[in-house]
Amino acid sequence: MKIKNVSLYIEISNAYKYNKTAVGSMGKDRTIFHIDINHCYAQIEEMKFPELRNVPMAVGGHEETRHGIILAKNDLAKKYGIKTGESLREAKQKCSDLLIIPPSYDDYIYYTSLVKEIYRRYSDHVESFGLDEAWIDYTDSVSLFGDPLKMAVQIQKEVHDEIGLDVSVGLSWNKIFAKLGSDMKKKDGPAVITRENYRETVWPLPASDLLYVGPATTRKLRQRGIYTIGELAVYPRRFLKKAMGIPGEMISVFANGGDTSPVAENFYRSPVKSVGNSMTMVHDVDNLEDLRPVYYVLCEAVASRMRDHGMEGDVISISLRSSGLDWYGCERKIDQKTDVSMVILHTAMRLVEELYDFEKPLRAVGVSVSGLRPSGSHRQLNLFEDEAAYEKARMTDLVMDEIREKYGYYAVQRACTAVDRELTAFNVKDEHTVHPVGYFQGRKMMP
Amino acid sequence: MELFKRYVDVIIYQKRNGDITPLYVCWENGKKYKIDKVLSSERRASQVGGCGMRYACMIQGKRRNLFLEKNRWFIESYQP
Repeated sequence: MKIKNVSLYIEISNAYKYNKTAVGSMGKDRTIFHIDINHCYAQIEEMKFPELRNVPMAVGGHEETRHGIILAKNDLAKKYGIKTGESLREAKQKCSDLLIIPPSYDDYIYYTSLVKEIYRRYSDHVESFGLDEAWIDYTDSVSLFGDPLKMAVQIQKEVHDEIGLDVSVGLSWNKIFAKLGSDMKKKDGPAVITRENYRETVWPLPASDLLYVGPATTRKLRQRGIYTIGELAVYPRRFLKKAMGIPGEMISVFANGGDTSPVAENFYRSPVKSVGNSMTMVHDVDNLEDLRPVYYVLCEAVASRMRDHGMEGDVISISLRSSGLDWYGCERKIDQKTDVSMVILHTAMRLVEELYDFEKPLRAVGVSVSGLRPSGSHRQLNLFEDEAAYEKARMTDLVMDEIREKYGYYAVQRACTAVDRELTAFNVKDEHTVHPVGYFQGRKMMP
Repeated sequence: MELFKRYVDVIIYQKRNGDITPLYVCWENGKKYKIDKVLSSERRASQVGGCGMRYACMIQGKRRNLFLEKNRWFIESYQP
């Protein structure tokens, strides 16, 4: 027992030392806000149509195209126990009167960008984390705008008055605790987590509240008797590292408030590492020939986005999800970097053929290209490949891009996609944009 | 009294620096209402839903809020 106590003491001391390193550029503690637009999509719909505040309402995908999950819900729907991510059918079972609104992504992008313009009035370091969340580094703005807590309240007021949305704010000296803070007090003003109070405020929270602690990590932590952030913080870091690798060490640092990752400058965009698209199909597909047109559309979208970024790549990956929701994936490096859809398609189809036997039909498929570099480099000619055909495919892509830009996506289509219009009538490039964001955005993982 | 959101046609004067001044509100029946004075213009949320640049206007001695929401105009109207 004594040995255990000594070990705990050492870990706490180390944790304290770690905290000492989490300071700003001027050697002082940083002041970081994390601001979250509460149940964002639902709140924007309520702002547009205030009468929706009086009924249980949720924003959900289209059930007929099998995107039928709850994306956000309002407070009245929450009272029925409706959860984000559950199927529309489950939600309807909990509340038969639930009003489902289809998502309007253009509006969500527009209104959240207005909210972020307000944040940028007070700092040149505003880092978006998805559409609805952002960190603000207020450290150097204190001398300009004054007390951080007052400013947090001011920002809440400005967003409410100007855009009609409610935001929750967390304040701390690091991004991780600031994010926890914004989740803690949704309605009662900003939550402040300091070096003095974090053991009382943060440590009793479940470990799963911490960024990067998902269901799998939570299970691993529970196997070690770790249920709260406090228990995670004092657990010997070397054991976590041994069991879970660098992520284990990282979450231990997070739990101790040792995260020192900076808030990115305004409009910072992390370098593109891969370009990919995936799609849940309107109906399941049980053979390769039916799948080919779907991959045509996906590969065209990926290649077109790569050209938009001015990139070409040589690692083609596919992902497949069966009707039983099993996941399959593999990748292959090709000889030369490319941004031509036909090359990506041929490789992707070959990978599908090798990987999947269609014992169960496929529900969702995806393709991505990595190993990127700026395009425009010289291409090594190959004696054994038809270079004229390659050039023709490249030119076809460029012409299709041009026609689509001028006359719209559906102005030109490959003939094979006409066989099953229902399956291929989607503009994956423009209409299926998701906004996944990594916390580190291409920066180093450890502080 | 209850307010309603009514999209309306608006005749504006736009300066070369981008500043916009609404001049007339055009009702559906074809009648034009002159905006006598713009009292203030600021970004605001509307109580009838939506948000945008709010122009607080005096029209025939009454104050009405006119909003430029994205690229179209609406008025907080007492008429449904």
